[in-house]
Amino acid sequence: MMMLETNEPMFDSPIPGESLTAELGARPWQSPPQYPTVDEAMEYYLSRMAQEDFMVQLVDVLEMDVPVSALANTIQLSGVMQGLHTVDVGILIMPVLMEMIMMLGDSAGVKYQTGLDNPNKGKTRDTLLSKVAKKYTKTLEEVDVKEVVKETEEEGEEEAQYSSGLMARRK
Amino acid sequence: MSMYGSTRNYNPGIALYKAMDIENLPQEREPSKEGGLLVRKDMGMANKNMDQSNPVFRVAKQMEVIRKYRNMSNDDA
Repeated sequence: MMMLETNEPMFDSPIPGESLTAELGARPWQSPPQYPTVDEAMEYYLSRMAQEDFMVQLVDVLEMDVPVSALANTIQLSGVMQGLHTVDVGILIMPVLMEMIMMLGDSAGVKYQTGLDNPNKGKTRDTLLSKVAKKYTKTLEEVDVKEVVKETEEEGEEEAQYSSGLMARRK
Repeated sequence: MSMYGSTRNYNPGIALYKAMDIENLPQEREPSKEGGLLVRKDMGMANKNMDQSNPVFRVAKQMEVIRKYRNMSNDDA
């Protein structure tokens, strides 16, 4: 099986059994959510986003080129961790959060990244390049260079013999 | 690998945002001004596609309002 190679360290992933290090129900997300419906959660976030201190922080983050989609995901995920709403409600309200963040960014005149476009679109994949390079190296290894040179020289001589028509350039 | 938008994790919000077809949301029908007392009325069920019990529809409605406001403020600027 081939392992997916990443350039990022894997040290921040949870260790096995980490979820069992606290009593069941001790974590906020293990108790019933504060806002169980989509409407309540949306109302909470929209009123929170209308606060001035939130807006100022949001604009700062957007100016740091953090994509809107990543920001919305972080906001809803922190809501889940605080026990405000469930994961499914958080995912459902993400488009509203993104739209709201974009609106705040527009009103503040910030040039933000939406995160909706694939930055790697149109670029040649590194894996494809390495694959082609490997194939080329393998082909080069299989070919006998001396033989190819000899064949090319012979072909050249044959061509010289046959290229003696009426219009051929005289030596 | 569709992890753009986030630094390393898959972000479901991107697919959701793109899937929200808020431009083609069913609009509420205006009640007809003509007609007398005995004219048949649509009793609330104006459009069967407007399923208010569907949370995605309510999210889309909210999103539509914000998008309208956003477009208005962008046009003014």
